[in-house]
Amino acid sequence: MEYEIVVGLEVHAELNTKSKIYCECHNAFGLEVNTQCCPICMGMPGTLPTLNEKVVEKAIKMGHALHCDINRICKQDRKNYFYPDLPKAYQISQFDIPLCEHGYVEVMVEGEVKKFGVTRIHIEEDAGKLLHGGESFDGSLVDFNRCGVPLIEIVSEPDFRSSADAKAYLEALKSILLYLDISDCKMQEGSIRCDVNVSVRPKGSDAFGTRVEMKNVNTFSGAVRAIDYEAARQIEVLENGGTITQETRRWDDARGVNELLRSKEDAQDYRYFPEPDLPTIVVSQEKVDELKESITELPNLKVIRYVTEFGLSQTDAETIIDSMEKSAWFEEVVAAKACNAKTAANWILGDISKFMNETGKSLSDTQLTPNKLAELISYIESGKISNAAAKQVFEVLLQENREPMDVIKEKGLMQISDEGALEKVVADVLAGNEKSVADYRNGKTNALGYLTGQCMKATKGQGNPQKLKELLLAALSGE
Amino acid sequence: MEMYQYTATELSSMLKKKECSAVEVTESVLKRVHAVENQVNAYVTVTEELALKKAEEVDQKRAAGEPLHDLAGIPIAIKDNICTKGVKTTCASRMLENFVPPYNATVIEKLDSCDYVPVGKVNMDEFAMGSSTETSYFKKTSNPNRLDCVPGGSSGGSGAAVSAGEAVLALGSDTGGSIRLPASYCGVVGLKPTYSSVSRYGLVAFASSLDQIGPLGRSVSDVAMLYSAICGHDPHDATSAMREYADFNASLQPDIKGKVIGLPKEYFGAGVSDTVKSKVMEAVKEMERQGAAVKEISLPSTDYALNAYYIISSAEASSNLARFDGVKYGYRAKDYRNLEELYEKTRSEGFGDEVKRRILLGTFVLSSGYYDAYYKRAKLLQKQIGEEFRQAFESCDVILTPTSPDTAFKLGENIGDPLKMYATDICTVTVNIAGLPALSIPCGKDETGLPVGLQLIGAKFSEQKLLNTALAYEQAVGGFNQIPEIK
Amino acid sequence: MIDIKHIAKLSKLRITAQEEEKFAEEMEKIVDMIQNLPQLDDTGALIDPSNPMILREDTAAQHFKRDALMQNAPQTKAGCVVVPKVVE
Repeated sequence: MEYEIVVGLEVHAELNTKSKIYCECHNAFGLEVNTQCCPICMGMPGTLPTLNEKVVEKAIKMGHALHCDINRICKQDRKNYFYPDLPKAYQISQFDIPLCEHGYVEVMVEGEVKKFGVTRIHIEEDAGKLLHGGESFDGSLVDFNRCGVPLIEIVSEPDFRSSADAKAYLEALKSILLYLDISDCKMQEGSIRCDVNVSVRPKGSDAFGTRVEMKNVNTFSGAVRAIDYEAARQIEVLENGGTITQETRRWDDARGVNELLRSKEDAQDYRYFPEPDLPTIVVSQEKVDELKESITELPNLKVIRYVTEFGLSQTDAETIIDSMEKSAWFEEVVAAKACNAKTAANWILGDISKFMNETGKSLSDTQLTPNKLAELISYIESGKISNAAAKQVFEVLLQENREPMDVIKEKGLMQISDEGALEKVVADVLAGNEKSVADYRNGKTNALGYLTGQCMKATKGQGNPQKLKELLLAALSGE
Repeated sequence: MEMYQYTATELSSMLKKKECSAVEVTESVLKRVHAVENQVNAYVTVTEELALKKAEEVDQKRAAGEPLHDLAGIPIAIKDNICTKGVKTTCASRMLENFVPPYNATVIEKLDSCDYVPVGKVNMDEFAMGSSTETSYFKKTSNPNRLDCVPGGSSGGSGAAVSAGEAVLALGSDTGGSIRLPASYCGVVGLKPTYSSVSRYGLVAFASSLDQIGPLGRSVSDVAMLYSAICGHDPHDATSAMREYADFNASLQPDIKGKVIGLPKEYFGAGVSDTVKSKVMEAVKEMERQGAAVKEISLPSTDYALNAYYIISSAEASSNLARFDGVKYGYRAKDYRNLEELYEKTRSEGFGDEVKRRILLGTFVLSSGYYDAYYKRAKLLQKQIGEEFRQAFESCDVILTPTSPDTAFKLGENIGDPLKMYATDICTVTVNIAGLPALSIPCGKDETGLPVGLQLIGAKFSEQKLLNTALAYEQAVGGFNQIPEIK
Repeated sequence: MIDIKHIAKLSKLRITAQEEEKFAEEMEKIVDMIQNLPQLDDTGALIDPSNPMILREDTAAQHFKRDALMQNAPQTKAGCVVVPKVVE
């Protein structure tokens, strides 16, 4: 039987606010254990939370980006469970009224535009970290630094039909979070994590299969592996006449397998109830509108536009859009209408990227402007300068605030493309190199290279090499 | 007359006129503590050295001509669920027997800036759960009026210390009557302020939506003075109201003429003892003589209020007390093989039975399948109760009820019967459910010498009206300030 | 019937068989009392827009040293609180 995979994702993203969600502690990663905490985030008796306004604002921005309805009147709830990394023994989260809900996102997957539903986005606090001692020590250590780091949880509809769908969605979320300055999305720091729900069903069926939740998926590529593994596992169970049970499994990316964490019967009873320490969240309609207006074109939609409007490949479009600066330059170079969009893209992906990677600098640190770059590219396209010459000019323009044409003239880089002038050069070179001409005619075709070189030399390197070669060939075959 | 016998208002004026020093006042109070504490058992921790040091500082500041607050140099006892930096805060629980907070509650910061003298931390029911102070892990506090009786709870140490002259003033906390009941049983004045008027930051939470810190004292003016010092918006408490407050003591004046006093019939029913009824009605007669108009009213949802109270408070408590797990602070069981055992043994050994009962009850009403039937219905009832009060205050200035259906009971009398114990809160819980202010003032004694208290309930933020009404009565009866002889 | 064992487990309370009987009996009585509540229309009592929360400005500050925060911990090592080994 043929099966269809059904996947839903719960993505947790840490917000890049200055302070934590409920206290003034620094929201900082990687510092010495238990130095970024206070009585509030350590859940000391008597302490109370106060909600960081930027958390609400960033969550609403994400809600707008994902076309959600914003519940500008909502509340927070307590999710009760015991664990050493949760000092209050409850997590302040949102239960029945999330800040944002009923949204969607459009994503390009392998050249095709797909729309995935977003169930809800809510705000909550992160937990601390458990450090597991070495062999010398039989216990775990608790570091509370991460307690109270603000999170948004983005819950999708079960709309993904392949691991590729899921990966494209995750990449789109990441690019949006970065674009809107909501999260730093540093995977290695765990600032974006996801839980994956997988089920399978016979192809063509409308009913959902029993879903299995997978925890501990820490990277996007890991998500792909985890989904493919779990789907294959479920299909195998079904093929062998078994049934899938609702359960939570733990993904082990190193071993490439998952294992049972808990079954449905062990499901925790979180005893959610409204957080009595925090009154109702009320965001004004003006604020909600203002946040919506602050959002410019989002990367997922940009990809779609670059592909359909400019004819770029999805990969090239994504690579450019990954960097806000490259994307902004690309758009400006194209807007100058001096050159072809694909050539502009090649420059951005080539020399510009090389420069940024090698120097670690941003283009704004240089003297180059998008208009000058557009002008430079137009000279190549019109044959006024060679590619090699353009690279020389580019190097100068990075350093000095000068007009491209001035640099070209000063360096004498203008290419001679005038046929009359070049024909004379060719005639002179042929006349002065009879041996090579004879060699060529006797089948030693590499003599052509020598003759071209002599022509370039005669033009002090400014002859259009393509044209020269054409003229040489015509002259050699004509006589 | 000894210094400790004066009210805060009297002492404040004497200190200002330099008729006495803060050290003399503090020494007098400490001497009284030494004399009667082994009979009263009001304190968990007496901070004698700290008190004397603070008193000396006050005297130095006064000598240097610095402007000082009315409370400067006044010895005050603090309920042991209010966090005091560097001083043990136990909540009268084995769980926090050695807990020393690294920070001060907002009310303590405020009192510190007034240069109060901290006498110590006073006993209470464990985590403020109880009506007699008998659930304390450490000791049983006696009612100074009759040592074989309870002082009421949960702020029993606060009530007893003030009543016995072991402190001039005290802070308590009130979740379902925990300031007013001890005030009534011990014969002092206690104010449960409007919810949100006093910061809860640093008050170890029992039921977050109901808890409120408030003052206990031996006169209306004393209570007004302390309340003025602790109220106000606090950015650390998101439930704290953003508003300005008058100086309640400066604005204090007897004002009862023409005031309409509502008597809700539900509070004078079968459960209320004849003595209490007659004493409260005598006080009502006195108020009428002073020019008040009396009106019978009805608050029909009162009959359900106790049920809603136990659901809401236990639910919140079950969550608030989950943090006591032996991991970060407080008691940790000695022997455990794994995390689960650490949790279960710590909590089973660290909490007393009453706390366990409330945690179990709270966990039950929030558990899967029961939330709507219990918690949600209780919250809906809460809204309705608030609405009934709002309507009542359209035609009344204050509402008057007994503070408790009876006078103080004997130590040990109700400890084995939770339901009977819970019923002592029947007159007070509605006020917390509705978030209203209420004042308990003495209105005589029963035949055995135990005080009777009456409760004045006001609309939100009407503390001044309650205090002014109470002051008129206090003056009419010639004052409440009588420290009992401790035998 | 209240499943007192389950509730105790959720509450992380260990109760002996003897206690179980006592608590079960008490709980039955208490629950019997408190369940007496009127049936009211759902008026959205859990959310009150008339009392909006004042949010905190996003400014960061460090007020406490680690030693002060750890002074009440029952067991510490390397600046951390120690718990029995947990794996998840």
